[in-house]
Amino acid sequence: MIEVSGLVKDFGAHRVLDGIDLSVQRGEVIAMIGPSGSGKSTCLRCLNLLEAPSAGLLRVGDVTIDASRPVTRRQRLGFRRPLGMVFQSFNLFPHMTVLRNVSLAQERVLKRSRREADEISRQLLDRVGLGAKADQHPSRCSGGQQQRIAIARALALDPEVMLFDEPTSALDPELGLEVLNVMQELAAGGMTMIVVTHEMHFAESVSDRVLIMADGRIIEQGPSAEVMRNPQTERAQRFLSAVMNR
Amino acid sequence: MTGLLDFWNQSLPQLLTGFTLSLQVTGLSLALGIPLGLVLALTLQSASRWLRWPSLVMVEIGRGASILVLLQFVYFGLPSAGLTLSSFASAVAAFCWCTAAYTSEIIRAGLQSVHHGQSEAGEVLGLDPAEILRFVILPQGLPVCVPTLLGFSILMLQASSLAFVVALPELMSKAQLIGSNTFRYMPLFALTAILYAAVCIPATIVVGRLERRLSRHI
Repeated sequence: MIEVSGLVKDFGAHRVLDGIDLSVQRGEVIAMIGPSGSGKSTCLRCLNLLEAPSAGLLRVGDVTIDASRPVTRRQRLGFRRPLGMVFQSFNLFPHMTVLRNVSLAQERVLKRSRREADEISRQLLDRVGLGAKADQHPSRCSGGQQQRIAIARALALDPEVMLFDEPTSALDPELGLEVLNVMQELAAGGMTMIVVTHEMHFAESVSDRVLIMADGRIIEQGPSAEVMRNPQTERAQRFLSAVMNR
Repeated sequence: MTGLLDFWNQSLPQLLTGFTLSLQVTGLSLALGIPLGLVLALTLQSASRWLRWPSLVMVEIGRGASILVLLQFVYFGLPSAGLTLSSFASAVAAFCWCTAAYTSEIIRAGLQSVHHGQSEAGEVLGLDPAEILRFVILPQGLPVCVPTLLGFSILMLQASSLAFVVALPELMSKAQLIGSNTFRYMPLFALTAILYAAVCIPATIVVGRLERRLSRHI
Protein backbone atom coordinates (compact mmCIF):
# COMPACT_ATOMS: atom_id res chain seq x y z
CA MET A 1 0.00 0.00 0.00
CA ILE A 2 2.79 2.41 0.96
CA GLU A 3 6.38 2.22 -0.15
CA VAL A 4 9.05 4.63 1.05
CA SER A 5 12.66 4.40 -0.01
CA GLY A 6 15.63 6.57 0.85
CA LEU A 7 13.50 9.32 2.40
CA VAL A 8 15.68 12.22 3.50
CA LYS A 9 14.56 15.51 5.00
CA ASP A 10 16.90 18.42 5.71
CA PHE A 11 15.95 21.58 7.53
CA GLY A 12 18.80 23.82 6.43
CA ALA A 13 22.01 22.10 7.46
CA HIS A 14 20.19 19.85 9.91
CA ARG A 15 19.33 16.37 8.65
CA VAL A 16 16.11 15.31 10.36
CA LEU A 17 15.43 12.15 8.37
CA ASP A 18 18.40 10.19 7.21
CA GLY A 19 17.33 7.55 4.74
CA ILE A 20 14.00 6.02 5.79
CA ASP A 21 12.88 2.82 4.07
CA LEU A 22 9.44 1.55 4.86
CA SER A 23 6.78 -0.55 3.29
CA VAL A 24 3.29 -0.92 4.64
CA GLN A 25 0.85 -3.63 3.65
CA ARG A 26 -2.87 -3.05 3.31
CA GLY A 27 -4.58 -3.48 6.68
CA GLU A 28 -1.36 -3.22 8.64
CA VAL A 29 -1.23 -1.10 11.81
CA ILE A 30 2.17 0.43 12.46
CA ALA A 31 3.28 2.28 15.57
CA MET A 32 6.22 4.66 15.33
CA ILE A 33 7.87 5.31 18.65
CA GLY A 34 11.10 6.91 19.72
CA PRO A 35 12.52 9.83 21.66
CA SER A 36 11.47 13.41 20.92
CA GLY A 37 13.33 14.89 17.99
CA SER A 38 13.98 11.50 16.44
CA GLY A 39 12.03 12.46 13.29
CA LYS A 40 8.81 10.49 13.82
CA SER A 41 6.45 13.39 13.19
CA THR A 42 8.55 14.74 10.34
CA CYS A 43 8.48 11.32 8.74
CA LEU A 44 4.70 11.22 8.96
CA ARG A 45 4.41 14.78 7.63
CA CYS A 46 6.66 13.91 4.69
CA LEU A 47 4.43 10.93 3.98
CA ASN A 48 1.52 13.22 3.13
CA LEU A 49 3.73 15.99 1.75
CA LEU A 50 2.99 18.53 4.48
CA GLU A 51 6.77 18.71 4.51
CA ALA A 52 8.49 18.48 1.16
CA PRO A 53 10.97 15.59 1.29
CA SER A 54 14.54 16.50 0.36
CA ALA A 55 15.25 13.18 -1.33
CA GLY A 56 13.73 9.76 -1.79
CA LEU A 57 10.79 8.01 -3.37
CA LEU A 58 7.29 7.81 -1.93
CA ARG A 59 4.53 5.63 -3.27
CA VAL A 60 0.94 5.42 -2.08
CA GLY A 61 -1.31 3.08 -4.05
CA ASP A 62 -0.22 3.67 -7.63
CA VAL A 63 0.92 7.29 -7.29
CA THR A 64 4.65 7.81 -6.92
CA ILE A 65 6.39 11.01 -5.84
CA ASP A 66 10.07 11.52 -6.59
CA ALA A 67 11.51 14.13 -4.23
CA SER A 68 14.20 15.08 -6.73
CA ARG A 69 11.57 16.39 -9.15
CA PRO A 70 9.15 19.26 -8.63
CA VAL A 71 5.71 18.08 -7.58
CA THR A 72 2.67 19.58 -9.31
CA ARG A 73 -0.42 20.47 -7.35
CA ARG A 74 -2.34 17.80 -9.20
CA GLN A 75 0.18 15.10 -8.27
CA ARG A 76 0.08 16.23 -4.67
CA LEU A 77 -3.72 16.07 -4.57
CA GLY A 78 -3.74 12.61 -6.15
CA PHE A 79 -1.06 11.39 -3.80
CA ARG A 80 -2.89 12.62 -0.71
CA ARG A 81 -6.35 11.49 -1.76
CA PRO A 82 -6.14 8.04 -0.07
CA LEU A 83 -4.48 9.44 3.06
CA GLY A 84 -6.39 10.64 6.13
CA MET A 85 -4.53 12.65 8.75
CA VAL A 86 -5.12 13.31 12.43
CA PHE A 87 -3.04 15.96 14.20
CA GLN A 88 -1.82 16.21 17.76
CA SER A 89 -3.65 19.53 18.18
CA PHE A 90 -6.88 18.32 16.45
CA ASN A 91 -7.03 21.41 14.17
CA LEU A 92 -10.80 21.38 13.96
CA PHE A 93 -12.30 24.49 12.38
CA PRO A 94 -13.48 26.46 15.44
CA HIS A 95 -15.90 28.68 13.52
CA MET A 96 -17.99 25.78 12.21
CA THR A 97 -20.29 23.35 13.93
CA VAL A 98 -19.04 19.83 14.46
CA LEU A 99 -21.27 18.67 11.61
CA ARG A 100 -19.89 21.27 9.16
CA ASN A 101 -16.37 20.28 10.17
CA VAL A 102 -17.05 16.74 9.00
CA SER A 103 -19.19 17.64 5.98
CA LEU A 104 -17.23 20.49 4.37
CA ALA A 105 -14.53 18.49 2.60
CA GLN A 106 -17.03 15.83 1.49
CA GLU A 107 -18.97 18.51 -0.35
CA ARG A 108 -15.95 20.29 -1.81
CA VAL A 109 -13.68 17.34 -2.58
CA LEU A 110 -16.03 14.40 -3.13
CA LYS A 111 -18.81 16.62 -4.56
CA ARG A 112 -21.42 15.06 -2.30
CA SER A 113 -24.61 17.04 -1.82
CA ARG A 114 -25.03 18.69 1.53
CA ARG A 115 -27.78 16.26 2.55
CA GLU A 116 -25.75 13.24 1.59
CA ALA A 117 -22.63 14.62 3.31
CA ASP A 118 -24.50 15.50 6.49
CA GLU A 119 -26.03 12.05 6.61
CA ILE A 120 -22.63 10.38 6.32
CA SER A 121 -21.20 12.81 8.88
CA ARG A 122 -23.88 11.95 11.41
CA GLN A 123 -23.23 8.24 10.92
CA LEU A 124 -19.51 8.77 11.48
CA LEU A 125 -20.11 10.95 14.53
CA ASP A 126 -22.36 8.21 15.93
CA ARG A 127 -19.59 5.74 15.26
CA VAL A 128 -17.12 7.74 17.37
CA GLY A 129 -19.81 8.21 20.01
CA LEU A 130 -20.51 11.89 19.36
CA GLY A 131 -23.80 11.96 17.46
CA ALA A 132 -25.23 14.30 20.09
CA LYS A 133 -22.52 16.90 19.52
CA ALA A 134 -23.20 17.42 15.81
CA ASP A 135 -24.75 20.86 16.11
CA GLN A 136 -22.35 22.29 18.68
CA HIS A 137 -19.11 24.12 18.10
CA PRO A 138 -15.80 22.35 18.79
CA SER A 139 -15.02 24.73 21.67
CA ARG A 140 -17.90 23.12 23.58
CA CYS A 141 -16.27 19.70 23.32
CA SER A 142 -13.52 18.20 25.47
CA GLY A 143 -10.12 17.46 23.96
CA GLY A 144 -10.92 13.78 23.64
CA GLN A 145 -14.18 14.58 21.90
CA GLN A 146 -12.45 17.03 19.57
CA GLN A 147 -9.91 14.42 18.59
CA ARG A 148 -12.66 11.88 17.87
CA ILE A 149 -14.39 14.50 15.72
CA ALA A 150 -11.10 15.00 13.89
CA ILE A 151 -10.97 11.24 13.26
CA ALA A 152 -14.54 11.31 11.93
CA ARG A 153 -13.61 14.25 9.69
CA ALA A 154 -10.70 12.31 8.21
CA LEU A 155 -12.78 9.14 7.78
CA ALA A 156 -15.48 11.08 5.93
CA LEU A 157 -13.25 11.16 2.85
CA ASP A 158 -13.04 7.35 2.70
CA PRO A 159 -9.28 7.14 3.25
CA GLU A 160 -7.39 3.93 2.63
CA VAL A 161 -4.66 4.81 5.11
CA MET A 162 -4.98 6.83 8.32
CA LEU A 163 -1.97 8.74 9.63
CA PHE A 164 -1.99 9.74 13.30
CA ASP A 165 0.52 12.29 14.62
CA GLU A 166 0.63 11.81 18.40
CA PRO A 167 -3.16 11.82 18.61
CA THR A 168 -3.30 11.54 22.40
CA SER A 169 -0.29 13.64 23.43
CA ALA A 170 -2.38 16.77 24.09
CA LEU A 171 -4.92 14.85 26.19
CA ASP A 172 -5.01 13.73 29.79
CA PRO A 173 -4.87 9.93 30.16
CA GLU A 174 -8.60 9.43 30.64
CA LEU A 175 -9.58 11.45 27.56
CA GLY A 176 -6.75 9.85 25.62
CA LEU A 177 -8.34 6.49 26.29
CA GLU A 178 -11.56 7.46 24.45
CA VAL A 179 -9.44 8.27 21.43
CA LEU A 180 -7.40 5.08 21.70
CA ASN A 181 -10.61 3.04 21.85
CA VAL A 182 -11.83 4.58 18.61
CA MET A 183 -8.44 3.91 17.02
CA GLN A 184 -8.52 0.33 18.25
CA GLU A 185 -11.92 -0.18 16.62
CA LEU A 186 -10.59 1.28 13.39
CA ALA A 187 -7.65 -1.10 13.50
CA ALA A 188 -9.95 -4.04 14.18
CA GLY A 189 -12.03 -2.98 11.18
CA GLY A 190 -9.03 -3.49 8.91
CA MET A 191 -7.91 0.12 8.38
CA THR A 192 -4.29 0.62 7.38
CA MET A 193 -2.79 2.90 10.01
CA ILE A 194 0.50 4.59 10.81
CA VAL A 195 0.50 5.96 14.34
CA VAL A 196 3.22 8.16 15.80
CA THR A 197 2.72 7.73 19.51
CA HIS A 198 4.07 7.70 23.03
CA GLU A 199 1.36 5.24 24.12
CA MET A 200 3.44 2.14 24.72
CA HIS A 201 0.46 -0.02 25.54
CA PHE A 202 -1.18 0.86 22.23
CA ALA A 203 2.07 0.18 20.40
CA GLU A 204 2.44 -3.20 22.02
CA SER A 205 -1.10 -4.50 21.97
CA VAL A 206 -2.89 -2.86 19.03
CA SER A 207 -0.27 -2.38 16.37
CA ASP A 208 1.05 -5.20 14.22
CA ARG A 209 4.47 -3.74 13.85
CA VAL A 210 6.54 -1.28 15.84
CA LEU A 211 9.20 1.01 14.39
CA ILE A 212 11.64 2.61 16.77
CA MET A 213 13.21 5.78 15.46
CA ALA A 214 16.25 7.64 16.73
CA ASP A 215 18.33 10.38 15.12
CA GLY A 216 16.39 10.33 11.87
CA ARG A 217 16.67 6.60 11.25
CA ILE A 218 14.58 3.54 11.93
CA ILE A 219 16.84 1.71 14.37
CA GLU A 220 14.64 -1.25 14.99
CA GLN A 221 11.42 -2.73 13.69
CA GLY A 222 9.41 -5.90 13.85
CA PRO A 223 6.33 -7.55 15.33
CA SER A 224 5.14 -5.37 18.20
CA ALA A 225 5.47 -7.61 21.22
CA GLU A 226 8.87 -8.87 20.08
CA VAL A 227 10.38 -5.42 19.57
CA MET A 228 8.89 -3.99 22.72
CA ARG A 229 9.95 -6.82 25.00
CA ASN A 230 13.23 -7.80 23.45
CA PRO A 231 14.89 -4.91 21.64
CA GLN A 232 18.22 -5.74 20.01
CA THR A 233 20.04 -2.44 19.72
CA GLU A 234 21.47 -0.62 22.70
CA ARG A 235 19.72 2.67 21.75
CA ALA A 236 16.32 0.98 21.57
CA GLN A 237 16.91 -0.77 24.87
CA ARG A 238 17.77 2.53 26.51
CA PHE A 239 14.64 4.22 25.11
CA LEU A 240 12.30 1.39 26.02
CA SER A 241 13.63 0.98 29.53
CA ALA A 242 13.15 4.73 30.02
CA VAL A 243 9.51 4.65 28.94
CA MET A 244 8.49 1.26 30.33
CA ASN A 245 10.08 1.36 33.79
CA ARG A 246 8.54 4.51 35.15
CA MET B 1 -23.82 83.42 24.74
CA THR B 2 -26.88 83.94 22.57
CA GLY B 3 -24.57 85.55 20.04
CA LEU B 4 -22.57 82.31 19.91
CA LEU B 5 -25.64 80.12 19.56
CA ASP B 6 -27.04 82.35 16.83
CA PHE B 7 -23.77 82.19 14.96
CA TRP B 8 -23.66 78.37 15.32
CA ASN B 9 -27.24 78.19 14.21
CA GLN B 10 -26.47 80.21 11.09
CA SER B 11 -23.35 78.26 10.18
CA LEU B 12 -24.65 74.79 10.97
CA PRO B 13 -26.63 74.10 7.75
CA GLN B 14 -23.62 74.93 5.60
CA LEU B 15 -21.29 72.94 7.80
CA LEU B 16 -23.67 69.99 7.67
CA THR B 17 -23.70 69.91 3.86
CA GLY B 18 -19.91 69.91 4.08
CA PHE B 19 -19.95 67.16 6.67
CA THR B 20 -22.27 65.04 4.52
CA LEU B 21 -19.70 65.30 1.76
CA SER B 22 -16.90 64.36 4.20
CA LEU B 23 -18.86 61.27 5.22
CA GLN B 24 -19.52 60.37 1.58
CA VAL B 25 -15.87 60.66 0.59
CA THR B 26 -14.79 58.65 3.62
CA GLY B 27 -17.51 56.02 3.19
CA LEU B 28 -16.80 55.51 -0.49
CA SER B 29 -13.03 55.38 0.06
CA LEU B 30 -13.45 52.75 2.76
CA ALA B 31 -15.99 50.75 0.77
CA LEU B 32 -13.58 50.55 -2.18
CA GLY B 33 -10.31 50.68 -0.26
CA ILE B 34 -10.83 47.89 2.28
CA PRO B 35 -11.71 45.21 -0.31
CA LEU B 36 -8.70 46.40 -2.31
CA GLY B 37 -6.67 46.10 0.90
CA LEU B 38 -7.80 42.47 1.18
CA VAL B 39 -6.72 41.84 -2.41
CA LEU B 40 -3.33 43.45 -1.73
CA ALA B 41 -2.93 41.44 1.49
CA LEU B 42 -3.35 38.28 -0.59
CA THR B 43 -1.24 39.31 -3.57
CA LEU B 44 1.57 40.41 -1.23
CA GLN B 45 1.81 36.81 -0.01
CA SER B 46 1.53 35.37 -3.49
CA ALA B 47 4.29 33.16 -4.81
CA SER B 48 4.24 34.94 -8.17
CA ARG B 49 6.44 38.00 -8.28
CA TRP B 50 4.26 39.45 -11.06
CA LEU B 51 1.57 39.85 -8.43
CA ARG B 52 3.83 40.57 -5.48
CA TRP B 53 5.95 43.38 -6.87
CA PRO B 54 3.22 45.69 -8.21
CA SER B 55 1.31 45.19 -4.94
CA LEU B 56 4.38 46.05 -2.92
CA VAL B 57 4.85 49.27 -4.92
CA MET B 58 1.18 50.22 -4.41
CA VAL B 59 1.36 49.58 -0.67
CA GLU B 60 4.70 51.27 -0.08
CA ILE B 61 3.70 54.43 -1.97
CA GLY B 62 0.30 54.48 -0.27
CA ARG B 63 1.88 54.21 3.16
CA GLY B 64 5.08 56.07 2.47
CA ALA B 65 3.77 59.20 0.79
CA SER B 66 1.65 61.59 2.84
CA ILE B 67 -2.05 61.78 2.03
CA LEU B 68 -1.57 65.42 1.12
CA VAL B 69 0.92 64.40 -1.54
CA LEU B 70 -1.36 61.66 -2.87
CA LEU B 71 -4.31 64.06 -3.04
CA GLN B 72 -2.42 66.72 -4.94
CA PHE B 73 -0.71 64.16 -7.14
CA VAL B 74 -4.09 62.82 -8.26
CA TYR B 75 -5.82 66.20 -8.59
CA PHE B 76 -3.05 68.41 -9.97
CA GLY B 77 -0.58 65.83 -11.25
CA LEU B 78 -2.69 63.34 -13.22
CA PRO B 79 -4.18 65.93 -15.62
CA SER B 80 -0.72 66.35 -17.19
CA ALA B 81 -0.87 62.61 -17.89
CA GLY B 82 -4.22 63.16 -19.59
CA LEU B 83 -6.46 62.06 -16.73
CA THR B 84 -8.55 64.84 -15.22
CA LEU B 85 -10.67 63.94 -12.22
CA SER B 86 -13.17 66.08 -10.33
CA SER B 87 -12.16 67.08 -6.82
CA PHE B 88 -14.59 64.48 -5.43
CA ALA B 89 -13.19 61.70 -7.61
CA SER B 90 -9.61 62.76 -6.83
CA ALA B 91 -10.28 62.73 -3.10
CA VAL B 92 -11.89 59.29 -3.29
CA ALA B 93 -9.04 57.95 -5.43
CA ALA B 94 -6.35 59.25 -3.07
CA PHE B 95 -8.09 58.15 0.13
CA CYS B 96 -8.95 54.80 -1.41
CA TRP B 97 -5.27 54.28 -2.29
CA CYS B 98 -4.23 55.20 1.23
CA THR B 99 -6.92 52.98 2.76
CA ALA B 100 -5.95 50.00 0.61
CA ALA B 101 -2.28 50.40 1.51
CA TYR B 102 -2.81 50.62 5.27
CA THR B 103 -5.60 48.06 5.53
CA SER B 104 -3.61 45.53 3.52
CA GLU B 105 -1.17 45.40 6.45
CA ILE B 106 -3.98 45.22 9.01
CA ILE B 107 -5.68 42.39 7.11
CA ARG B 108 -2.42 40.55 6.48
CA ALA B 109 -1.75 40.56 10.21
CA GLY B 110 -5.29 39.31 10.88
CA LEU B 111 -4.98 36.45 8.40
CA GLN B 112 -1.59 35.47 9.78
CA SER B 113 -3.08 35.28 13.26
CA VAL B 114 -4.98 32.16 12.14
CA HIS B 115 -3.05 29.17 13.40
CA HIS B 116 -0.96 27.41 10.76
CA GLY B 117 -2.55 24.08 11.68
CA GLN B 118 -5.84 25.35 10.27
CA SER B 119 -4.59 25.58 6.72
CA GLU B 120 -2.74 22.27 7.15
CA ALA B 121 -6.02 20.67 8.19
CA GLY B 122 -7.65 22.08 5.07
CA GLU B 123 -4.76 20.85 2.97
CA VAL B 124 -4.85 17.25 4.19
CA LEU B 125 -8.62 17.22 3.62
CA GLY B 126 -7.90 17.94 -0.05
CA LEU B 127 -9.23 21.50 -0.18
CA ASP B 128 -7.48 23.71 -2.74
CA PRO B 129 -5.84 27.00 -1.69
CA ALA B 130 -8.86 29.09 -2.71
CA GLU B 131 -11.19 26.86 -0.69
CA ILE B 132 -8.89 26.98 2.33
CA LEU B 133 -8.91 30.77 2.09
CA ARG B 134 -12.67 31.01 1.69
CA PHE B 135 -13.84 28.46 4.22
CA VAL B 136 -11.03 28.35 6.77
CA ILE B 137 -8.77 31.41 6.84
CA LEU B 138 -11.01 34.38 6.00
CA PRO B 139 -13.88 33.48 8.36
CA GLN B 140 -11.39 33.29 11.22
CA GLY B 141 -8.93 36.02 10.24
CA LEU B 142 -11.27 38.83 9.17
CA PRO B 143 -13.18 39.19 12.47
CA VAL B 144 -9.81 39.70 14.15
CA CYS B 145 -9.22 42.75 11.93
CA VAL B 146 -12.56 44.43 12.54
CA PRO B 147 -11.67 46.60 15.57
CA THR B 148 -8.44 47.80 13.95
CA LEU B 149 -10.25 48.51 10.67
CA LEU B 150 -12.88 50.54 12.49
CA GLY B 151 -10.18 52.48 14.31
CA PHE B 152 -8.56 53.17 10.97
CA SER B 153 -11.90 54.27 9.52
CA ILE B 154 -12.23 56.89 12.27
CA LEU B 155 -8.80 58.22 11.39
CA MET B 156 -9.81 58.38 7.73
CA LEU B 157 -12.88 60.46 8.53
CA GLN B 158 -10.62 62.93 10.30
CA ALA B 159 -8.09 62.79 7.47
CA SER B 160 -10.85 63.57 4.96
CA SER B 161 -10.50 67.19 6.13
CA LEU B 162 -7.33 67.27 4.04
CA ALA B 163 -9.48 67.17 0.90
CA PHE B 164 -9.90 70.94 1.23
CA VAL B 165 -6.58 71.26 -0.64
CA VAL B 166 -8.24 69.91 -3.79
CA ALA B 167 -11.13 72.36 -3.39
CA LEU B 168 -13.63 69.76 -2.25
CA PRO B 169 -16.35 71.63 -0.31
CA GLU B 170 -16.29 69.22 2.65
CA LEU B 171 -16.61 70.20 6.30
CA MET B 172 -13.18 71.77 6.67
CA SER B 173 -13.47 73.84 3.45
CA LYS B 174 -16.90 75.07 4.51
CA ALA B 175 -15.51 76.12 7.88
CA GLN B 176 -12.63 77.94 6.20
CA LEU B 177 -15.06 79.67 3.87
CA ILE B 178 -17.37 80.86 6.63
CA GLY B 179 -14.36 81.89 8.67
CA SER B 180 -12.87 84.04 5.93
CA ASN B 181 -16.18 85.93 5.71
CA THR B 182 -16.93 86.33 9.41
CA PHE B 183 -13.48 86.10 11.01
CA ARG B 184 -15.09 84.25 13.95
CA TYR B 185 -12.65 81.36 13.71
CA MET B 186 -12.70 80.35 17.32
CA PRO B 187 -16.42 79.46 17.69
CA LEU B 188 -16.46 78.16 14.13
CA PHE B 189 -13.71 75.60 14.54
CA ALA B 190 -15.11 74.65 17.92
CA LEU B 191 -18.35 73.66 16.18
CA THR B 192 -16.41 71.87 13.44
CA ALA B 193 -14.52 69.91 16.07
CA ILE B 194 -17.80 69.01 17.79
CA LEU B 195 -19.17 67.64 14.52
CA TYR B 196 -16.16 65.38 13.93
CA ALA B 197 -16.22 64.31 17.56
CA ALA B 198 -19.95 63.58 17.43
CA VAL B 199 -19.19 60.75 14.99
CA CYS B 200 -15.73 59.72 16.13
CA ILE B 201 -16.26 59.41 19.88
CA PRO B 202 -19.30 57.08 19.69
CA ALA B 203 -17.45 55.09 17.02
CA THR B 204 -14.45 54.74 19.34
CA ILE B 205 -16.74 53.44 22.09
CA VAL B 206 -18.21 50.88 19.67
CA VAL B 207 -14.68 49.75 18.75
CA GLY B 208 -13.80 49.30 22.43
CA ARG B 209 -16.90 47.20 23.04
CA LEU B 210 -16.24 45.13 19.94
CA GLU B 211 -12.65 44.48 20.97
CA ARG B 212 -13.75 43.18 24.34
CA ARG B 213 -16.42 41.03 22.74
CA LEU B 214 -14.07 39.50 20.18
CA SER B 215 -11.37 38.75 22.73
CA ARG B 216 -13.86 36.92 24.96
CA HIS B 217 -13.44 33.64 23.05
CA ILE B 218 -9.65 33.74 22.87
